[in-house]
Amino acid sequence: MGEKTDVMQGTLALMVLKTLDVLGPLHGWGIARRIEQISGDLLSVNQGTLYPLLLKLEQEGSIDSDWGASENNRRARYYKLTRAGRRQLQSEVQEWQQTTEIMARFLTAKAEEL
Amino acid sequence: MKPVKRMWSKTSNFVTGESGEQRLREEMEEHIAMQTDENRRAGMSPAEARRQALIKWGASEAVREQYHAEKGLPWIETMLQDVRFAVRMLRKSPVFTTVAVMTLALGIGANAAIFSLINALMLKSLPVADPKTLVRLGNDDGCCVGISWKDNGEYSYFSTDSYEYLRKNVPEFEELAAMQAGFAYRPVVVRQDGSSEAPRSVMGEFVSGNYFRTFGLNAAAGRLLQDRDDVAGAPFAAVMSYETWKTRFNSDPSIVGSTFRVNTKPVTVVGIAPKGFYGDRLLATPPDYYLPIQSMPELANVAYVRNSPMQWLYLIGRVKPGVSQGMLQEKVNTLLRQQLGATDLFSSKRRQQQLKEKIHVVLSPGGGGIQSMQEGYDKQLQMLMTASGLVLLIACANLANLLLARGMSRKAEMNVRTALGARRGRIVRQLLTESLLLAGAGGVAGLLVAYGGTQMLLAMAFPGAESVPIHASPSFMVLAFAFGLSLLTGVLFGVAPAWVASKATPADALRGGTRSVAGGATLLQRSLVVLQAGLSLVLLVCAGLFGKSLSKLEHIDLKLDPVNRYIVHINPQTAGYSQRQVGALYRAIEERFHALPGVEKVGITSYTPMEDNNNGWGVQVQGKPEHNLIASYIKVNAEYFDSVGTRVVSGRGILATDTVDAPHVAVVNKEFVRQMFKPGENPIGQHFGGSMKSAGDWEIVGVVEDTAYQRATWTDHMMYFVPTLQRPLSATPDSIDEDENMYAGAVVLKTSRPVAEMEELARKTLAGINPNLSVVKFQTFSAQIADQFSQARLLSRLTMLFGGLALLLATLGLYGVTAYGVARRTAEIGIRMALGAARTKVTAMVMRGALVQALVGLALGVPTAMFCVKYVSSQLYEIKSVDGWVLAGAVAVLTLSATVAGWIPARRAASIDPVQALRVE
Repeated sequence: MGEKTDVMQGTLALMVLKTLDVLGPLHGWGIARRIEQISGDLLSVNQGTLYPLLLKLEQEGSIDSDWGASENNRRARYYKLTRAGRRQLQSEVQEWQQTTEIMARFLTAKAEEL
Repeated sequence: MKPVKRMWSKTSNFVTGESGEQRLREEMEEHIAMQTDENRRAGMSPAEARRQALIKWGASEAVREQYHAEKGLPWIETMLQDVRFAVRMLRKSPVFTTVAVMTLALGIGANAAIFSLINALMLKSLPVADPKTLVRLGNDDGCCVGISWKDNGEYSYFSTDSYEYLRKNVPEFEELAAMQAGFAYRPVVVRQDGSSEAPRSVMGEFVSGNYFRTFGLNAAAGRLLQDRDDVAGAPFAAVMSYETWKTRFNSDPSIVGSTFRVNTKPVTVVGIAPKGFYGDRLLATPPDYYLPIQSMPELANVAYVRNSPMQWLYLIGRVKPGVSQGMLQEKVNTLLRQQLGATDLFSSKRRQQQLKEKIHVVLSPGGGGIQSMQEGYDKQLQMLMTASGLVLLIACANLANLLLARGMSRKAEMNVRTALGARRGRIVRQLLTESLLLAGAGGVAGLLVAYGGTQMLLAMAFPGAESVPIHASPSFMVLAFAFGLSLLTGVLFGVAPAWVASKATPADALRGGTRSVAGGATLLQRSLVVLQAGLSLVLLVCAGLFGKSLSKLEHIDLKLDPVNRYIVHINPQTAGYSQRQVGALYRAIEERFHALPGVEKVGITSYTPMEDNNNGWGVQVQGKPEHNLIASYIKVNAEYFDSVGTRVVSGRGILATDTVDAPHVAVVNKEFVRQMFKPGENPIGQHFGGSMKSAGDWEIVGVVEDTAYQRATWTDHMMYFVPTLQRPLSATPDSIDEDENMYAGAVVLKTSRPVAEMEELARKTLAGINPNLSVVKFQTFSAQIADQFSQARLLSRLTMLFGGLALLLATLGLYGVTAYGVARRTAEIGIRMALGAARTKVTAMVMRGALVQALVGLALGVPTAMFCVKYVSSQLYEIKSVDGWVLAGAVAVLTLSATVAGWIPARRAASIDPVQALRVE
């Protein structure tokens, strides 16, 4: 939905990292399904576009990938978080929470309080 | 950190060619499989499951692109792709590419070459240490030995006494050096001691002991001159130039310390001057040897070095830091006036006044050395610069035209691309690459032209030199400028039409655009061609005028006869003869040369016509009021006038009976009579001398024609000829020992038929009289005369070159535009011919288009040319306005070229098969 902007990419990357953090090493399809599940129908990204993003994260050094065996004994590429990726995740989560807090205050403020 | 790592991965992927396609394909397969399984588990049929999985995946092409973009460096890849494609497109139209590159190369190369020449001649500093702190006393190329200053009192060369006075009393000069002003006119004869080779006449410059120190130079071998060498009585020392050492003596280290015979006297070569040092001025014949001033009286047998008021030295000094130029100039002037005022020469009231009111020294920058050559070339080089600028302009107009034509012919292609989805920026970038490639290729070719052109120009500027003293490589600044200009033109005119074309809605354009009837070139294109034609005309007219000027110069009646004449320059002074011994020498010369086969007349003279030599003295006719005029003094033998071809018009010439003891007689030229006597007055029998006091020195016995001496254009030249051994009546007998005029400078031989081996015969004859008597220079009379026109010839050749270049470019431009016009109008022509137009009509139509443009250009060019002539007329000989013939000639040449340029495409147009033409789409 909509064009892929940098902001979109940034939040999607955060979702990927968080998913890997929670579920541990996972293949591309697994990550896509997880994001779909959590966000429900509010977010339907073309699954294919996930892969360039995964490549970007890998080239940045936030995640690592390797071949492994999938559930039905097929060959699949598994992605896992690196130490650097974990650090990045922590700092970005913090930032995100800060941003939402500030926005929440603004959005609930009544006319008299401003 | 992250971006760096990412960039690193991307770069290494690009370099290794790792595309990741395999990996993506595998992952995609797996992903689709897993999604398909999920869908099946949800209850879909296998086919439906797979279809839904694919839909969920998204546009695989887009994904692949993104993946690829993320993996490598897409922008470099597209750039390379652009370049490859551009190369292909350029190769597809070889004519266009060759013409464009050639145009650029000629335009850029010509400018770079001229600028390099100018840079080398005008702007270059001497290859010395810190040229900025060098200052020259004087700013004129006044030369060479005498008492003189410019009419406005500017004093540019000095006597030895003045030099030493200034050197002692101006501490603001860290060093003040002196150098011989006229060494080019006074060669020295040098022979290596112990060598069997004949003595050679070479350039030797006499300089002060601190000459090399002033310039901050170090010897390439041995040592350079020092103050202790420049003392009367010191052992004779000399420094050899690096070029001489390398070419004549193969850089033989044993030269240092060896003895050479300079004008028969033994001199030790103490060292070699540094590599690249060509002296203090730019000449075709730089000094081969540097000798101390105080050794000159003994070596060159001259009397003006010690205790003489004669000026003969140029002065250049290094100024101490922090000294103000104005204050220094004042001090120099005050001191000079002090020194001169105390001499005998300036004791008269008139001279004292001159000294106080007129005579002054102007300090000028010394970093470029003595600017004698530059002053001669100044205006010419500026003119050439303008000409080459015009050529560049024409080249750019050409390029613009070519690119415009090409751009418009690719309109269809651009529209198709837009229809297929190319963004405007992408198309423009593609075209930009093409233009840049063209400009780059043109620039490289231009470099080659520039390099070759510079060498050629240098060789032309130093005619007859064994090796050019300066090395000029194309100036970087100029190349960059010309390159930048052509780049700008390329970009502007290459991209602009594409921009316009990409604006059109593709559907409209594709539907009907290519079959338009309104074809041909646009107004802009036609104006460019008109501009080119006009500029070419101006350059051609200039070339014609310079050619005419040269022809006029060469056809001036010099009032002499060069046929079967040979000139042998000699220097008895350097061969060791004293003034009292020359009589016997001249007799021997006359006898021995007459003995040679074919020799009819043997003339002996101080100097010859058209030799760029002169000896001017004041003259005064007895019984007349003070003239204040100067005439040239020349001593000749009896056969001289015949040997040169000068006619005696009244009275008699010099005879063999005009010996030392006979009455002192002189023969004057017609100009002398014209200026010194009233019309109708008979000069024969009258007396004249150097001044009022000595007006009885000579009796006039004859009048001769005004043969041209020194240069062809000197028309009011007064001359008087006296017998070789006679001296002014008023001169004291002992003053003969200081009288330089006793020495003859040349022997002129008239033969009954051409003698090919005359040079060898002359050398043997002279050596037979005295082994130290060498041939200083040998030329046929015609060759000597032709040498005087070398500068005019150079200019004429160069302007013709530029005119030719301009014409070539303009013709190419016109051809290119017409050819493209025809190509674009192929469909239209096909229709015309299908409707019954004759082939000749088609030809005529195309030719008319081409010629109209050329003629409009001519119409604009003619008044421009006439206007421009004003600026160049100062360099032309007796040409004030555009000659009708020259103009007609230029117009004819241009029209002919335009005809040819239009003819070829016209023929092609006429041979179009209508059926084929209509199929072209």
